Amino acid sequence: MRLAPFFALAALFAAALAFTAVANSYYVFVMATLALMAITGMGLNVLLGLTGQVSFGHVAFYALGAYGVAVLTTAAKMSFWVALPLAVLLAALTGALLALPALRVRGPYLAMVTIAFGFIVEHVAVEWRGVTGGQNGIMGIPSPAWFGYSFGERGVALAAIMVAAAVLLGCWRLSNSNWGAAMRAVKDSETAAEAIGLNPVAVKTVAFTLSAACAGLAGALFAPLSGFVTPSTFTFSQSILFVLVVVIGGAGTVTGPLAGAALVVLLPEVLAGLAEYRLLFFGALLLAVLWIAPEGVVGEIARFLGRRRAAAPPRPEREAPPVRPASAVALRVEDLTIAFGGVKAATGVAFSATPASVTSLIGPNGAGKTTVLNMLGGFYRPDAGTIRLGEQALERLPAWRIARAGLARTYQTSQLFGSLSVLDNLVIAQARGRLGRAALPREEREARAEALLAFVGYRADMHARASDLPHVDRRHVEIARALATSPSVLLLDEPAAGLAREDKQRLARLLRRIADAGLAVVLVEHDMSVVMGISDHVVVLDAGTPIARGAPAAVQEDPAVKKAYLGEDHGRPVAHRVASGDLGDNLLDVLALRAGYGAEPVLKGIDFDVRGREMVAVLGANGAGKSTLMRALSGLHRPVQGAIAFDGADLSRLPAHKVVAHGIVLVPEGRQVFPELSVLDNLKLGAFLRKQVPAEEIERMLERFPRLRERLHQRAGLLSGGEQQMLAIARGLMAKPRLLLLDEPSLGLAPQVINDLFAALDRLRAEEATILLVDQMAGLALALADRAYVIDGGAIVASGSAAQIAAAGALEKAYLGAV
Amino acid sequence: MLITSALISGLGLGSMYGLLALGFYVTYAVSSTVNFAQGSSMMLGAVFAYTFAVTLGWPFWSAAMLALALCALYGVIVEWIAVRPFVRRGSNAWLMATVALGIVADNLVLFTFGKEPRGFVLPWATGSTQVLGVGVSPLQAVIPAIGLGLAAAMHLVSRRTRLGSALLAVVQNPDAARLVGINVPVAISAAFAVSTVFAGAAGILIAPLFNVHSDMGTVFGLKAFAVAILGGITSAWGVMLAGLLFGVVEALTTSLLGSAYTQIVTFSLVIVALAIAPNGIFGRAAVKKV
Repeated sequence: MRLAPFFALAALFAAALAFTAVANSYYVFVMATLALMAITGMGLNVLLGLTGQVSFGHVAFYALGAYGVAVLTTAAKMSFWVALPLAVLLAALTGALLALPALRVRGPYLAMVTIAFGFIVEHVAVEWRGVTGGQNGIMGIPSPAWFGYSFGERGVALAAIMVAAAVLLGCWRLSNSNWGAAMRAVKDSETAAEAIGLNPVAVKTVAFTLSAACAGLAGALFAPLSGFVTPSTFTFSQSILFVLVVVIGGAGTVTGPLAGAALVVLLPEVLAGLAEYRLLFFGALLLAVLWIAPEGVVGEIARFLGRRRAAAPPRPEREAPPVRPASAVALRVEDLTIAFGGVKAATGVAFSATPASVTSLIGPNGAGKTTVLNMLGGFYRPDAGTIRLGEQALERLPAWRIARAGLARTYQTSQLFGSLSVLDNLVIAQARGRLGRAALPREEREARAEALLAFVGYRADMHARASDLPHVDRRHVEIARALATSPSVLLLDEPAAGLAREDKQRLARLLRRIADAGLAVVLVEHDMSVVMGISDHVVVLDAGTPIARGAPAAVQEDPAVKKAYLGEDHGRPVAHRVASGDLGDNLLDVLALRAGYGAEPVLKGIDFDVRGREMVAVLGANGAGKSTLMRALSGLHRPVQGAIAFDGADLSRLPAHKVVAHGIVLVPEGRQVFPELSVLDNLKLGAFLRKQVPAEEIERMLERFPRLRERLHQRAGLLSGGEQQMLAIARGLMAKPRLLLLDEPSLGLAPQVINDLFAALDRLRAEEATILLVDQMAGLALALADRAYVIDGGAIVASGSAAQIAAAGALEKAYLGAV
Repeated sequence: MLITSALISGLGLGSMYGLLALGFYVTYAVSSTVNFAQGSSMMLGAVFAYTFAVTLGWPFWSAAMLALALCALYGVIVEWIAVRPFVRRGSNAWLMATVALGIVADNLVLFTFGKEPRGFVLPWATGSTQVLGVGVSPLQAVIPAIGLGLAAAMHLVSRRTRLGSALLAVVQNPDAARLVGINVPVAISAAFAVSTVFAGAAGILIAPLFNVHSDMGTVFGLKAFAVAILGGITSAWGVMLAGLLFGVVEALTTSLLGSAYTQIVTFSLVIVALAIAPNGIFGRAAVKKV
């Protein structure tokens, strides 16, 4: 621990004590108020800053502490030294009780519960006249005495300052302990916290109770300080002031509430003439802090100083992989089934993952792979089926118990604990949820963490904040954190997504080494080169059902698998619909389009064009970038680099609603109708930008899609998948687009419905619409399109007429990997 | 007799809670954020109306209309200053920021309007008629009528006008709304304007009953927030119904147990209700995705 701040704080407290010992009684009261604000603020900081739960009702616990001491020392004539701990206990127990309903809810709901509680306590204080003295309160609270020496106001003030120092020390220790890290973890990502074995409800309850106890302690000291307590001291605006103290000083920092309390208490003293305006000033100050310096005074200073620290890469002593499974047990999954609101996401999924092997789950988009992982990890509870790890049944356990049983996982979007350092992410994971006395001393845990980081290939700064890491490093750290829990099974959800080629290969080798060290690795992945290269066993899902399983080579050749990925080969002759002379000019010209999420771009420089009255298909495996391309063209994804030239205008900087105005309309992936509106209203909304929509147009649309006529006034959300897709296309056509974009229209539809759908698209083709189609059903798409492009890894790898693309092997290679 | 009188005043106040809660619903449905200091908007409506109608002596209806227009402006300001910057950052600090802005608004009014509560007398609202053997003032009849009328108007507007359809579309599917050409950020600002207009209207309506002062909205706004949450904050009719229920329960508690226990009982019910149904009584939980 750096010594300089420690000495500075010690000096500060010594100065405060000295000042209070000699100052006049007005300033004594000011210093005491400062100390009590600081104590409450530090307690609230544990809840708000560390654990991220907002409370607008903490004045209630302050009141409980104050009234507790007041009643016990006057009516019950107890000594202050007995009354104080009892009052604090009262506040703490009430906090723990309130946590039960409060922590089942979150966000605005939690705020409401705490506000309600604050009001209840305030009004009980007014109404329970027998005990609390009603509006007049309790007077004549005696000063604490110690061996005959009466403290008086000055004594209580000095005591308050010393208590504040003790609380500060306690908070510092908490912040650096396992519990503190656990609280931050729960705040950053409750899901990931459960995945490393932490029970979020327990952690939040402890935080709530501690913060209630601190507020109670401050209140208990307030009673003898002021000599009387009345309900008018404990109002709602006092709760707001407490929140202010924490936020202005720096939520989540140790000394932040101290600075906040100093500001809130001392500033009005300095600006004495403006004391009346202090609430106005504080409101404006809170706003300003939230805008400009959201980490608070102390937080911003700490961040500024932190930047100057030198980077520290991991330097482990051992080189051997430090991965040791707790025990060699297999994961057996049988008949796993789950449905969401009538939609069967997974049916009868079954497989085994044995130790020292890699089992991969693959399948086209929407096959249910992540749903299966979520069931394994305890995020969803399956409707039927069993999950056994060795002898233990996991299917009814909450996620944190499953993690403690030895199952670890990573996520599609990395869920690191952003406010913790890379090293601390791993250190807290090692506890596997047991936060009491650690099995190993901290140095050993840190050394083990370093060894793990080196094993996964992380070479950057160990003390960097996890939220500052680039994409590749986030992936590696997440894997390392999963390994830190010493699991027997490791689940990975698309770990290679967004990685460059060399990084993917390095990742594949890493996963193989993890399996070779004895773990059972279950991998969901789109990249076939990764999957086929390292898997021992492959399971293929399609629309939630397993359709094939076996060794990688066998699966690649399986005709059912090919059909699931590529679609039927209809055997229809692919004929050019339009002779080249009939085509319009280039309507859409895309040049060097780059787009992505974070460090690694998904689209790495795409060039293509679409001419008027043409139908162009864009094909490729999942993760290749097709959807990103559609979102980029339609304006949903911004910013992008490169140019999207449409009939002379560059649309690459326009938001979606302006792109529509230019005449490009996207029918998005997954239908995306307005579920509570009728079919008719959906159609009318399609023409939102057009002022007048004659009724004949709607009539013509219904002729084109007759199934919609029967359902014209039904809520769109009740339509079947195929009908919703027709509706989405009809809605898009109502805008009279010059270029229609279709993103995976066949997704999740039954084969007969797909045929109807493509027949409708064929009619559109015949009417000389200009269409850009992305679909997994490559065979069908090529049967309709004039030209096609194949995308792989964010770049175009093949282009030509539909017949050319259908003939060459480029498609199979892109979808299923090189054989 | 007591019960009937309680029911009538309960319905009146309840419809005001419902109006404020509808404001919460509109912004939450469209943007998943609320103006936590909605009570301040209510107070501003009353203060503006008082200033125009009493201080400046304008006719009541023009004063009320102008006051509501200013409330709409305030709603847009709240969204720009206290919500949008934080949503853009992906932070939840809008909860505290709207509270801070409310404190600023309350105190600005305190220093310009003064500390003394002012009575707002409407000549046509005095006197009473006998209904079911109970004395009812015209105001007690007008308030629920206007409250429910505004709610019904919102229902109609949302289904018949372009702005209404746009808001509904954004609520149900923001991406698809963009893809039909709806400017979603403008829609969100509009939703906030609508919510403050509702709050301001409620403020104007209850001003004659409760007197106008800078603090008049705080507790009202908090109770309305409780109503919104109990009504499920995702269902417009649920919210209005919850408001009426809340108002009636509050009025009945006051007449049966005395006003002392009203706050305690109503807020305790809020906590119990949320403990039983964390998504509110009428709301539905969304399917989580990871």
